[in-house]
Amino acid sequence: MSDNLGFALEGAWKVLFAGLVLGAGLPLLFALGIRSLAWGAGGEAEVHESGVTGPKAQPIGTVLAFVLFAIVVLGIALGITFVVASGFGKALSFEHIYPTIVPKH
Amino acid sequence: MTQASVVLALVVVTALAFDFTNGFHDTANAMATTIATKALRPKTAVALSGLLNLVGAFLSVQVALTVTNAVVKIQNSNGTPKASLVSDGGSALLLIILAGLAGGIIWNLFTWLLGLPSSSSHALFGGLIGATIAGLGWAGVNWNGDGSKLDGVVGKVLLPAVLSPVIAGVVALVGTWIIHRITAGLAARYTDQGFKWGQIGSASLVSLAHGTNDAQKTMGVITLALIASGDWTDTKNIPFWVKVACALAIALGTYLGGWRIIRTLGKGLVDIAPAQGMAAQSSSAAVILASSHLGFALSTTHVATGSVLGSGLGRPGAQVRWRVAGRMITAWLITLPAAGVVGALMWGIGHLIGGLAGALVVFALLVAAAVAVWLRSRRAPIGSHNVNDDWDVAAGPEHAAAVAAAEAPVAPAPATVTAAS
Repeated sequence: MSDNLGFALEGAWKVLFAGLVLGAGLPLLFALGIRSLAWGAGGEAEVHESGVTGPKAQPIGTVLAFVLFAIVVLGIALGITFVVASGFGKALSFEHIYPTIVPKH
Repeated sequence: MTQASVVLALVVVTALAFDFTNGFHDTANAMATTIATKALRPKTAVALSGLLNLVGAFLSVQVALTVTNAVVKIQNSNGTPKASLVSDGGSALLLIILAGLAGGIIWNLFTWLLGLPSSSSHALFGGLIGATIAGLGWAGVNWNGDGSKLDGVVGKVLLPAVLSPVIAGVVALVGTWIIHRITAGLAARYTDQGFKWGQIGSASLVSLAHGTNDAQKTMGVITLALIASGDWTDTKNIPFWVKVACALAIALGTYLGGWRIIRTLGKGLVDIAPAQGMAAQSSSAAVILASSHLGFALSTTHVATGSVLGSGLGRPGAQVRWRVAGRMITAWLITLPAAGVVGALMWGIGHLIGGLAGALVVFALLVAAAVAVWLRSRRAPIGSHNVNDDWDVAAGPEHAAAVAAAEAPVAPAPATVTAAS
């Protein structure tokens, strides 16, 4: 029982950490992307005082938004790669920082 | 056809039936929030989830033959069944598997009737544990593993069940709060459109992961039965027809949609806005993938429910219906023992009658229980047409009946089921 508890808590911390990075981090980037998109579009995209024209369009915001979305898409692609790889008996290794597919030990 | 092959056929059919209930019981985990926020239409959502479960099931090339080893000792570590259980053509082992599966199915159907998202893996493991205790005694259960890694009922089932919803809840809470802070002051058409795509993406990931994880369990159980009866010998591969049958069963179940559970998770627990839906679904996807990467066994259901709860706590001003949450948690606590009691009863009945007749009676009881639950569910049907109705506002007598059915502590259900609860 105590052995299992130790292993479980050890695993739980790792899952929590990875969950926060991917499960809250990617939505954070995604939300920033949406914010940038609205900033890029200007006008009525952001809530502003009535009777006044909205803020000016900022093309750089649109570019920034798509960079952020691209990062999110990469994150999702990593997730799919993981599911597929583990189905074929492989695992993802983060040994070299960037992920590589290795045989599961 | 010999007696043994009839029993084997019953086991295979029952295992596929379990896989089917596994599908519709868990549709909610991936799609409840997506349906509740109208990111996808209900029918589209279940079709997408079913398709991804099908794809996911075929992706699981790796053998999951030792799936029962986590909780019971009916297999050797290489996947072959214990010699003592197959001495008489495998009938001892087949009865344990049949009774265990029956316990899992009956509990899954009962919780579905009540609209409660309980864990299908707990139901399966509970049924198997119960049948094993009845058949082999307490020593037949792998309670704690050997202490070298996270294993046994405690390590693979109980501890993750406590920890995983908390982890998922924290991640979803943080995610929801961050998203709301960042997008405050933006026009709704910008945020809602964006979060719609975020939700569809993360819900798809959850569906795919579900297909790879859960269909494998049934594939492992069927192959174990085939080995026990001497119809299959290869412990490195699963017969192709088993893979196809399991993939189709879980995909069809998912496509059917467990609307009662989708409703509870999407509308009952918290009122979900698109941003929360995305945060909850991303949290589920990340926690499920991270934990299977780290070898931390958990239930998709517990993670999804924890995420939805967390997203309710993270949005300023959102309310969580703690009464619904309390009922869910109660269901989680009793799933394993309740499925175990049904599994043990089924084993007892099958053993008492013995042989082919025993297996047939167990199967007949299972069918009777399923029909009874289904008939009962027709009194207050929930489907794609009313899954998104407001939870608190009674829209008419039909709805009031549905709420009453969903909130009754114990519904008058068939004898086998009431005995177990």
